[in-house]
Amino acid sequence: MANSASLPGRGDLTIAEEFAQKIADERRHNQLMQMVPGIILASFAVLASLFVGGFFTVTNAINILNQISIPLILATGITNVIIIGGIDLSIEGVMGFCASIVTLLVLNKKNSMDLGVLGMALTVAAGTFIGFVTGVLHVKMRIPSFMVSFGMGSVITGFGIMSYGGKPATVEYALFPAISQGSILGIPYLSFMALGIFLVGCFIQKYTAFARAIYAIGDNEGVLRSTGVNVDWVKIKAFAWCACCASLAGLFGAIRLNRGEVIIGQGNLFTTITALVVGGASLAGGKGGMLESLVGVVIVVIIQNCMILLGINPYIQEAVKGVIIILAVALSVTRGKKDFVK
Amino acid sequence: MSQSEPEKPVLFSAERLSRYYGDFGALREVDLTVKEGEIVGLIGENGAGKSTLLKMIAGVEQPTAGQMFMQGRPYSCRTPLDANVQGVGMVFQEQALIRNLTVAQNIFLGREDHFRRHGVISWQRMNAAAARALAAIGMGSIPPEKKIWDLNFASRQMVEIAKVFDIVSTANPGESSLILLDEPTSVLNEAECQLLFQETRRLRDEGHAIIFVSHRLNEVLALTDRIYVFKDGTGAGEVKTQEADAQILYRMMVGHATTGQYYKTERQNLREPEVALRVRDISLKGIFREVTFDLHQGEVLGLCGVEGSGNEAVCSVICGDASPSSGTLEVAGTTFTSFANPAEALRYGILSIPKERREEGVIGILSIAENMIMSNLKAACSAGVLSNRRVSQIAREWVGKLRIKCGQVSDRIMRLSGGNAQKVVFARAMISKARILVLNHPTRGVDVGSKEEIYTLIRDMTNLGVAVIILGDTLDEYIGLSSRLLVMKDGQAIRSFDCPPDAKPEQVEIIKYMM
Repeated sequence: MANSASLPGRGDLTIAEEFAQKIADERRHNQLMQMVPGIILASFAVLASLFVGGFFTVTNAINILNQISIPLILATGITNVIIIGGIDLSIEGVMGFCASIVTLLVLNKKNSMDLGVLGMALTVAAGTFIGFVTGVLHVKMRIPSFMVSFGMGSVITGFGIMSYGGKPATVEYALFPAISQGSILGIPYLSFMALGIFLVGCFIQKYTAFARAIYAIGDNEGVLRSTGVNVDWVKIKAFAWCACCASLAGLFGAIRLNRGEVIIGQGNLFTTITALVVGGASLAGGKGGMLESLVGVVIVVIIQNCMILLGINPYIQEAVKGVIIILAVALSVTRGKKDFVK
Repeated sequence: MSQSEPEKPVLFSAERLSRYYGDFGALREVDLTVKEGEIVGLIGENGAGKSTLLKMIAGVEQPTAGQMFMQGRPYSCRTPLDANVQGVGMVFQEQALIRNLTVAQNIFLGREDHFRRHGVISWQRMNAAAARALAAIGMGSIPPEKKIWDLNFASRQMVEIAKVFDIVSTANPGESSLILLDEPTSVLNEAECQLLFQETRRLRDEGHAIIFVSHRLNEVLALTDRIYVFKDGTGAGEVKTQEADAQILYRMMVGHATTGQYYKTERQNLREPEVALRVRDISLKGIFREVTFDLHQGEVLGLCGVEGSGNEAVCSVICGDASPSSGTLEVAGTTFTSFANPAEALRYGILSIPKERREEGVIGILSIAENMIMSNLKAACSAGVLSNRRVSQIAREWVGKLRIKCGQVSDRIMRLSGGNAQKVVFARAMISKARILVLNHPTRGVDVGSKEEIYTLIRDMTNLGVAVIILGDTLDEYIGLSSRLLVMKDGQAIRSFDCPPDAKPEQVEIIKYMM
């Protein structure tokens, strides 16, 4: 009969060894995938230097540093939210809201406020509080983070417009132009500050229990819960920190423009999330980090910069960004037969 | 090994411990004692209650009756953390490690406070502490700063043990701990197993107690001091390991054979010559290898094996849920290396009835009728348009045939009991005209009456020529239902048994090959 059992011990490996090998393969694949964004960045930089006129110049380098600052600040905050497997769609709204209210709190042409640095601090505090609320709604009412943050973004954009009643305020506070126009070695202060915020993010990632908990939630939340960590609180903190960074980005935007407008954030959400995914973060959570986010931001900004230098139609630029994010996700997702995608 | 020493003090005991899910008793009135400096083995078939017992000791689940004692004091725990504080730690079969953190970060996950100064964690101190925790179980060679990703599977297992042991011993310095090991060897090779045993013995010699669960009898015999045998959710006795051997344990594990009438063996088909499915040398890397069999029309083929033996994975390959790394499947005259998806398998007449019926088997928000017709909507269509009248008509017909107890066929299926919902799934299989059914634990969680009806249904279908591959709940069920049994162990099909109605094999004969 054909139902004779297969001979044991055929082949060189036992099943257990095969299993161990599978884990090893997975490991190698992972290590390789981690290197890919770095390789892409290097090759883009080389290709752009060779083929894009005006790319490899000091002015353009400063330009790129300038363009990097806001996406980098936003990425610093949202990285943690992405690692836990969530998303925050309200960062544009928070940015716009904060840019709007800060111009009304410092010396301006619209009202009699003159709180100076305190006004800036209050703005960041208000922005952070929005993130706190988003986080609380997400974990306590169990609303998916994309939905909560989508709604919050809309609410907060509305508040932003209402704050200046349709006519944006122009700032007369002397510190604003002093910051936006100041530079060291031709590199604007704002770029240094963005780098500073990024370094704070790196510090948090490297030296705090909070960051360990963030990775644990992304990989296997149950394990963390069973060790007695307050998982909800960690999540709330992640959203608050994300909004804190978004308010700083809004503040920077207002400083640059010298004016507060709610639309100041527009386009940044998409750029930031594209950058994270390109850098190797997984939208399913568990993967990513500050360094990965930095690499991603630089890649995306370089692409944008090249398209501008090449004079490509802005509408096509948008489409290209869309293609990049889809490609990046498609290449990085590990697919299994039993996984469902909704 | 241990000679007869003066009686050691009892560390943990359980009295008349029970766990019921509704009417179903997963564990009934179990007694257990574990002494300090003792390794106790738990053995039994799948679903005999070992895991349920461990989960209750570890605080994952709560007993519905009975008491537990730790060092003479009443013991109860709401969470695993709660258990840890009281000196009990469990190493789970699925590793509870965060792969993108380091070994040290995993060991001290949630306990970073000791290493924090002004909000900053000192990795140096944490790594040093992790090295000590690893050394405490003899694993000083694992580097604490490496990420879990970068470790092989065996080392991950040791990290897991180090973590649990450290949590428990830190919470109870100087006291004996109880460590629960659930199938820790299932993916380890021989050398790694020996290492694990060596360290387990060392923990015992230091006065700690270990409960060891394994499907491998030789390991249980080699490692433990005493063995508890479980059967159908209750204790079937205990033996000193010195006085036990495999034969004795086999006898204790198997239950009384139920009469053939219960399984309707009188309606069991004689083997028909036509082959419905030819499986040739299929392998799934790291899970099972070179499995070969013929499935004849009208027969029930039982694929038996302990958890992790690969029998479930073989089924998922056959019904298109997984792609084998090599080998072929031949059905209806066509040879495949794999099915693209379950839909393709169904096109060739193979339908799987999944284990988690509530989650995977039925669509709760649809009606009974819609659930029945789902796999063969064409049967109720005319010119591409679905006729609701026809759907109800077909559904009513099957409700009658299968004696499904329900109000209207347009009622939501969620309203049905487990047994009746299962019958709806069977009706769907019949309507879909599947020629090969893969039944994944078809009677799990249904009451005795419904069980018998499901057995009748299986006979009904096989009498119509449908071939059935079954993953059963108990060995008794496997033997009673099957016309042939294929025993799998460690990813290989090692033996096949013919089970004609008049000469069914003994359970002991089969369990020998499983464990």
